[in-house]
Amino acid sequence: MTALSWLRGLIAHRRSRLVGTAIGVAVAVALIASIGTFLSATTSKMTTRAAATVAADWQVEVRPGADPARALRQVRSFDTVTRALPVNFASTSGLAARTGGSTQQTGPGSVLGIPPGFAKAFPGEIRRLSGGPGVLLAQQTAANLNAKPGQIVEIGRLGLPAARVRVAGVVELPAADSLFQNVGAPIGSQPQAPPDNVVMLPQRLFERIESPAPAAPSQLLATQIFASVDRALPSSPSAAFIDISGQARNLETRLAGGGLVGDNLGSALDGARADALYAQILFLFLGLPGAMIAGFLTAAIASAGSDRRRRDAALLRTRGASTRALVRIALSETAAATALGVGLGLGIALVVGQISFGTANFGAGTTAAALWASGAALVGSAIATMAIAVPAWRDARGLTVAGQRRQIGRRDRPPRWARYGLDCGLLIVSALVYRQASSNGYQLVLAPEGVPKVSVNWYALIAPAFAWIGAGLLSYRLADAFLDRGSRPLAVALRPLAGNLSMTVAATMRRGRGPLARSVALLALTAAFAASTAVFNSTYRQQAEVDARLSNGADVTVSESPGNPVGPGQGEKLASLAGVAGVEPLQHRFAYVGADLQDLYGVRADSIGSAASLQDAWFQGGSAAELIGKLADEPDSLLVSAETVTDFQLHPGDLIKLRLQDGVSKQFKTVPFHYVGVALEFPTAPHDSFFVANADYVAQQTGSNAVASLLIQTDGTNPATVASTVRASVGTSAQVTDIVNQRKVIGSNLTAVELSGLTRIELGFALVLAVAAGGLALALGFNERRRSFAIATALGARRRQLGGFICGEAAFVTAAGLGLGAAIATAMSVMLVKVLTGVFDPPPDALAVPGLYLVGALATVLLAVAVAAAAMLRSLRRPAIEQLRDL
Amino acid sequence: MNREGALVCCAAVARTYGIGETAIVGLRPTDCSVESGAKIALVGASGSGKSTLLHLMAGLDSPSSGTVSWPAIGPPERLRPGPIAVVFQGPSLLPALTVLENVGLPLALGGRSDRDAKRIAADALERLDLGDLAAKLPEEISGGQAQRVAVARALAGEPALILADEPTGQLDHLNGARVIDVLLAAADHSSAGLVISTHDPSVAERLQSRWEINGGELRNHASRAPAVPFEARR
Repeated sequence: MTALSWLRGLIAHRRSRLVGTAIGVAVAVALIASIGTFLSATTSKMTTRAAATVAADWQVEVRPGADPARALRQVRSFDTVTRALPVNFASTSGLAARTGGSTQQTGPGSVLGIPPGFAKAFPGEIRRLSGGPGVLLAQQTAANLNAKPGQIVEIGRLGLPAARVRVAGVVELPAADSLFQNVGAPIGSQPQAPPDNVVMLPQRLFERIESPAPAAPSQLLATQIFASVDRALPSSPSAAFIDISGQARNLETRLAGGGLVGDNLGSALDGARADALYAQILFLFLGLPGAMIAGFLTAAIASAGSDRRRRDAALLRTRGASTRALVRIALSETAAATALGVGLGLGIALVVGQISFGTANFGAGTTAAALWASGAALVGSAIATMAIAVPAWRDARGLTVAGQRRQIGRRDRPPRWARYGLDCGLLIVSALVYRQASSNGYQLVLAPEGVPKVSVNWYALIAPAFAWIGAGLLSYRLADAFLDRGSRPLAVALRPLAGNLSMTVAATMRRGRGPLARSVALLALTAAFAASTAVFNSTYRQQAEVDARLSNGADVTVSESPGNPVGPGQGEKLASLAGVAGVEPLQHRFAYVGADLQDLYGVRADSIGSAASLQDAWFQGGSAAELIGKLADEPDSLLVSAETVTDFQLHPGDLIKLRLQDGVSKQFKTVPFHYVGVALEFPTAPHDSFFVANADYVAQQTGSNAVASLLIQTDGTNPATVASTVRASVGTSAQVTDIVNQRKVIGSNLTAVELSGLTRIELGFALVLAVAAGGLALALGFNERRRSFAIATALGARRRQLGGFICGEAAFVTAAGLGLGAAIATAMSVMLVKVLTGVFDPPPDALAVPGLYLVGALATVLLAVAVAAAAMLRSLRRPAIEQLRDL
Repeated sequence: MNREGALVCCAAVARTYGIGETAIVGLRPTDCSVESGAKIALVGASGSGKSTLLHLMAGLDSPSSGTVSWPAIGPPERLRPGPIAVVFQGPSLLPALTVLENVGLPLALGGRSDRDAKRIAADALERLDLGDLAAKLPEEISGGQAQRVAVARALAGEPALILADEPTGQLDHLNGARVIDVLLAAADHSSAGLVISTHDPSVAERLQSRWEINGGELRNHASRAPAVPFEARR
């Protein structure tokens, strides 16, 4: 009954206290619900997206001697297999076609026997470019043979005369790597490239040509059963990977040695596991600090009314209220703040989801959204309990009535954590862990290919976690120490605002330094959180742009068909097209180093630097300009990938003999190079290993100046438009890509997570938190001291003089909070980007600072503080005695 | 009623709180004035309108009807800090300031330097034997001590009109008598007008005049003190 009456009184007379606490709870609940639900949607999307890239879930290779028909029956009868079709593989000694009086020939290749309905069942395997069903030539093969639909192609057979077939269509093989995989080969031993020459025959024709008679030598190499499985997978990529690879092993067991399963779906999910873990880590790094700050903010907001609450409790105790009754009253206030805060918070989360992602559940399943909402509600109620009920319970148990009446309370010594130097200790440990972990390259997530177990280097997370806590506590200590010992300089600084009352204002601030130092620490943390998140987000966008440029090579890239060699002169032709500012030819060769086959890029050393916007972070052992300069000065110089340097224990200046294909004889010949530096990234190059060499030297040594790509810089015209022009000029002989489309691919396939969605939520909430820390916390603090201001007014204080008190505090909290926040933000941004190196691809050269957001955030915080101060001053316009009567 | 030279002059002043059926009459239409040197006991039961009248005279509240003027002092914006000092009935010390700072606050608000304000405040505290409490915070002293400090704060600026709202309400007899001594001495020292609201007959007996108020109606309010214009004392 008392609790209910109390609550009624609270709602009637102390609304701002209740609403303030509820707002803090609401922000924490909304943040956790939004980020959590978004994370759940993201990991689920990762699984779906990884699975969507797979053309055929499983390729079951029938072992030699086993019966393909039996294996097919077994595969089809497997529980989760929804469709299975057999594909035959054979080899050919070469293909030939006669065009315009000349015969074009290719080297060895593959012949596939495709069953009816295959293209429809596995649409990701074959994409028709021209012609119709029947005998299909791969695009590159068609280019090599200069063959078109309707022409006759001869297929070379071992021990038999060549078979003649009529080409019905030309196709692209988007999943050629998995299509021609070596099923059952150990991880990492897959061939680097699929065969250049591929012809696909209808299965009956294949049987006639490749196994003409029992006595004739069969060309058949293998039969693979392509299977689709039920895609009802667990939403987490890790769980999905374990599930699907378990099924694959189960099928192998059932086949009892009759077949090996090439688990393409498992491999795709395998790759997504690390991304999902990074998503969770990002949640921890970017979401958790926000939720914790929201919790602290709520506690600070609630504690703004703690003096009043304590005095009320003291009054109740003098009227005979027991500890239990006081706790019950505090719990009723907690329940009210929780109900209001949780309801409001979940409402905000729904609106955020609707506005940002067009769906209230952020794209997650209903169960996941409900679970996160429940979790957020629990956290919200815990925050409210910690902020209201726990301090009330502690006061009721530990304080006398006189103690509860105290409003200021002299502090003889600093809090225990400050006496033991917890803040400094945490910062030192953070620095040590950061240093140690950065020496290991910050490999946060380890998900070895094919191994079900993934591991996260949680130890490295200590660095930012301790840094946040340590920085918050240190901010409190510094603000507290300055207010305690710096009254005189503070009074001097306050003189423009408070005039001759500056010493009095400084004294007031000194006595009330606990709440003020807490406000400073909170504002510092929220400002640092907003700024570091913004810097991280901005740097991430910058690197995504770099990634897009790395993948595409330039604004527009023309990739020549290997069967249709063109020289650097082709670039001059394209340079005259509208919208083209410059064209840079890029050679591509395959080179053997020992037994390893690697990509080699031949560049024009005098122009590649500017044409491809090379960045220093892509190289080791010198800047981009220095190392490319070496290629110009010493033509036999070679830039090598870091992996190769490690594998072959290379030192600068070492001689490296590569085997490159001669342009005339087509035989591999040894070409000497000297290792001069490391290339970590290079436009159009793969991530792992490759070489960069001087194009003229390569052309001279191999007798061929053929280029593989032409990197086109536009003159400001939209790259997509220029790409269309170029496409019209080069026809189907070359593939034309542009950076506009590449950005879309990078944006939706980035290694880690859709960070833009996460940071959009983060940046919004960071701003809300900063505004709340700056404006709301100050406003509530002022509100609790309305009686003091009313007394001062009754004593004759003018508005200007009251403004000195109010603006002095506001200015101190704002200046100290934002100053310390800027320092923390700088350190945290560097640390975040370093610790989360794995999210960036490639790692950034420098941080990108989003000036507009930061200036906007700063202006918003200043505005919030100004509004809080102005509102307080406005409320003091009423006659003092009226205010005193109300208070 | 507008006596030239009166410290405060109330003409048909009334105060009603709220509107409509719930309105409460705090003070019925009243005419009164306080001259320099007047020492008036405002006597009445709780809720009779004593505090309302004092607040109106202090310019802390506005009348619902009638006019309050301060002929010897000047316009309302010149009343505080300085010419009029109020001793409030309830706790009125600022919790974040020490006793010395609290007493010096009206002086600082009036434009005195921090050093001057503290020196004068220390003298005022000594006069009430409160020097030992100078460095204490309000929460560290008793309610009675706090009321005496509030009196010291009112007297520190040597006001022309002292309005004390039940200043002895929280004090024992001895300390109450002592506070009244100090208030009377301060009023004598600077020929200030003094109005003390009380329902303690022993306090009322020590003052020259006795105004009775009942149900918001003021009676017997003729001042026996000579009218001395405020400006004339300076």
